[in-house]
Amino acid sequence: MYIDPLVAQKEAEKRALDKTDQEIIEKAMHDGVETAWDRLAKQQPQCGFGQLGICCNRCTMGPCRIDPFGDGPKRGVCGATADLIVARNLLDDLAVGAAAHSDHGREVLEVLLDTAEGKSQGYQIIDEEKLGTIAAEYDIGTEGKSKEEIAREVALAMLEEFGTIKNRIQFADRAPEKTGEMWKGAGITPRSVDREIVESMHRIHMGVGADYANILLHGLRTSLSDGWGGSMMATDASDILFGTPTPNSSWVNLGVLSKDEVNVVLHGHNPVLSEMIVKAANDPELKKLAEEKGAKGINLVGMCCTGNELLMRHGIPIAGNMLDQELAIATGAVEVMVIDYQCIFPSITATASCYHTKVVATSEKSKVSGAIYKEFRPETALDSSKEIIRMAIENFPNRNPDRVKIPDKPIKMMAGFSEEAIRNALGGSYKPLIDAIVSGKIKGAVGVVGCNNPKIKHDYGHVMLGKELIKRNILVVETGCAAIASGKAGLLLPEAADMAGEGLKSVCKALGIPPVLHMGSCVDCSRILMLGANIAKELGVGIEDLPLGGAAPEWYSQKAVSIASYFVASGVYTVLGIPPKIFGSPNVVDLLTNKLDGVVHATFAVEPDPVKAADLLEAAIEKKRKALGI
Amino acid sequence: MKTVFVNPEKCIGCRHCEVACAIEHSQSKDLFKMFEEVPLSEPRIHVEVGVDFLTFPNRCRHCDPAPCMQVCPTNALERDEKTGSVIVNYNKCIGCTACAMACPFGIIQFKQVYQVKLAREVNAKCDNCIERQKAGKEPACVEACKTGALEFGDVNDLIRVSRKDFTVRMIKSQGTEVEVPKIPVNVQSFRDVMAQVAAIGPFRED
Repeated sequence: MYIDPLVAQKEAEKRALDKTDQEIIEKAMHDGVETAWDRLAKQQPQCGFGQLGICCNRCTMGPCRIDPFGDGPKRGVCGATADLIVARNLLDDLAVGAAAHSDHGREVLEVLLDTAEGKSQGYQIIDEEKLGTIAAEYDIGTEGKSKEEIAREVALAMLEEFGTIKNRIQFADRAPEKTGEMWKGAGITPRSVDREIVESMHRIHMGVGADYANILLHGLRTSLSDGWGGSMMATDASDILFGTPTPNSSWVNLGVLSKDEVNVVLHGHNPVLSEMIVKAANDPELKKLAEEKGAKGINLVGMCCTGNELLMRHGIPIAGNMLDQELAIATGAVEVMVIDYQCIFPSITATASCYHTKVVATSEKSKVSGAIYKEFRPETALDSSKEIIRMAIENFPNRNPDRVKIPDKPIKMMAGFSEEAIRNALGGSYKPLIDAIVSGKIKGAVGVVGCNNPKIKHDYGHVMLGKELIKRNILVVETGCAAIASGKAGLLLPEAADMAGEGLKSVCKALGIPPVLHMGSCVDCSRILMLGANIAKELGVGIEDLPLGGAAPEWYSQKAVSIASYFVASGVYTVLGIPPKIFGSPNVVDLLTNKLDGVVHATFAVEPDPVKAADLLEAAIEKKRKALGI
Repeated sequence: MKTVFVNPEKCIGCRHCEVACAIEHSQSKDLFKMFEEVPLSEPRIHVEVGVDFLTFPNRCRHCDPAPCMQVCPTNALERDEKTGSVIVNYNKCIGCTACAMACPFGIIQFKQVYQVKLAREVNAKCDNCIERQKAGKEPACVEACKTGALEFGDVNDLIRVSRKDFTVRMIKSQGTEVEVPKIPVNVQSFRDVMAQVAAIGPFRED
C-alpha cells in the first residue's frame, strides 16, 4: 500500500523519539510491515473495566465487572468488591512477573550446577571471587576445594532457595538490618521463591483472600522473593559463570547492524545460550565460511535484556530495546534473530516472514510458531550455537540489498556498571558518594528502569526523565529498556555530564563516569538493591532512610509490577509512567500511594509527564534528606 | 417516544455493547456458535476513541424524519410506527449507499446478512432490536452496558434525569470553587492520567 512519505514521517515522529528508530518505522510503514504501534491503534478502544482493574475473569461464575460509576453491579457473582478484584488482579500480575524473573534465575543456576559437575559444554566458572563471597554467605567451607566443588555446593544451596522450608531466603540477609526489621514488622519477609508465587496463586482463588490489604501485603512479600531472591540469584549466578561486569564502552541503536557482515540479533533475557553464541562467532571455521558466502564477518548485536547482559560483560553492541525488535528485522539486514524468552512479540515470526530473516527459538518454554527450533541444552550449547551461526551465514546470500536500510550512525555508550564496579570506581567504599550526597553535590539517586510501551512515544519517558533528574543533581542508575533508551540518547557517556547540574557534573567529571549509569538487565535491578543496601549499611541506616527513588516511565510488563513492588517494599518511592490497573478501587489507590508509607516508608505514584515525575522524585528525595538531617 | 440514550461520560470503552449486538443479530443468538456462521454477524453499534482515549458508543439514532429514508431510491428504509425504529428491508436495498451519505452520524455500514440469500452487501445498520422490543425487552446493547452509558426509556424521562442531575450539581457548586463531580474521583483521576499518556504518545492530537 502506498503511504505518503510525509505522512509516514509525521507518524514516525509521533511513535519514537530516536531519529534512527523513526527512520526504520517509516521504512516498516512503506514496506507494509505491521508493528506494535499499528496493533495498538487497531486495539482502540481498550476496555475500561480491564484498565481500571475491575474485570474479574478467574472463574466460570464470571466474567464479572464492577460499575465504576456506582449504579450498576458493585460485586462480582462470588461477592468480590472492586477493592478485592483489583487487589487479586494486581497480585496475579505481580506473581507472573516474579515467576518470570525467578524462573530465569533457576535456569542460570542449573547451568552453573551442570558446569560444576562437568556436564555443560563451553561454560566455565569465571568469577571465583563472587563464588567465594556467596559460599561464605551460605557457610560453605572452601578450604582445599576446587572451584567446581565450591560451585556445585553454591549452586545447590541457591537452587534450594526456590523450594526451601527454612522460611527465609539467604540473600534477603544482604539488606540492612533495619530494613529487615521493617519487613519483619510488616510480616513480609520472603520465605522462599516458589512458595510466595504459589501462595499468590492460592490467595487469588475464589474464597481465599477477601481482604484487599492482606492480599497486597503478600504481593510485597512475593516481590521481595523476586528482588532479593530469584532476580538476585539470576544476577549472581550469571556473574559467576560469565564474569561480573566492569565498565566498558560500546555502541547502540539500529545502526549497529552491519551492511556487509552477517547480522545475528540476540533477543530475550537469559544469556546462557547467547554467551555460547559469542564464543561460536569467534570460530575460525565459521568466520571463513562467512567470507566464502560474501560477508565481511559475523556481527553479533544484542536486543532487550539478553543484549544488556552481553553488553555489560563483553561490550557487544546493542541494537535496541523492546520496541526495536520489529524494527531490527525491518532493516532487512538481519540474517537470524535468536530468541530465548520474555518480551518477544508472538508476532515476531510474522514480521520476519516479510524479509529473509530466520527466527531461531531456543527455549523449550518459549516456542514460537514459525520459528526454527534449536533447543538450548547446557551439554550441547556450544554445538547448537555453532549451528545457529552457520544458519545465519548460509542465510546471508538471501539478503536482498534493495530492501536493506540501516541507519548509519550508532551512538557510543558506556555500560558495565555492576554494583561492584561502581564501588571499585569509588575506591572500594561508598564514602566518596556518601560525602557527595551529604554535601548536596548529589541530592540522591533514582533507579530508572522498565520497559517500552507504545502508548508513550518510544524512549520519551526514559530519556526525558533521565535528563530532568540529572539536571537536578540526581544520579540516575538504569537497567533494561530504560538503559538502552538512554544509550540511544547519548546519556550513557561521560560527556553527558555536561547536561547535569553543577554538583553531579563535578562528581562525574572527577570520576570519568556518565551521569546515567547502565547497571544491566532487568533482573539486574537486584544490583540497584545491592547498591542501596551497601550504601545504607555503610551509613548504618535502612534503605528506606536513603534519598533514593525509582521510576518506570514506560513500563508494560508484569515483571515491572514485581520490580516496582520490591523497590517500594525495600523503602524506595517509585513513580510509574503508565497507570497500573488499580484505579477502579479508590481504596487500593489510597493504600499504594499513601498508606503504604506507614508500612515500608515508601509509596507508589503515577505520573506520565517526565517533568512532573521528576518533581515528585525530587520532593521525595528532599524529604529523606531532611529526615537524615542533611 | 422510547430511545437509547447515550451518557458518553459513562462509556469506558469495554465494547460489551458491540459483542451483545453481534450476538443479537446472529442466526443462533449464541456467543459460542455465532462465529461458525456465514455470513458472520458483526456489531451495528461502534465504540470508538475520540481524543485522550475517551470513547463514545455510536449507533443509529432512528431520526424522524430520517435523512436516510428520505434519500433511499427504493424505499428500502421503512419506519416501524410502534417503536419509531428505522428498519431496513434488506431485499429492497440496492447497496447504492445514498443513505450512508445522508446519515448525520456515520453509522450506516454495508455487510452481508443472513436474511439475504445472495452474497451481496446491504445496509446492515442498527434495527433498534425491534424483535426484542416487541417481546418487551430492551435493546441488547443497553442490556449489556454495565456502566449506564447506554440507557433505554422514554426520551423525556431520561433527559429529565440528566436535567435534574445538572440542577443538583449547579446548586451544590454554588458559592464554592469546587465543582461537584459528576464522575467518581478515581475514574476522573484515571482519565486525567490517560490524557497525559495520550499527550506523549502516538495518539496525540496535532
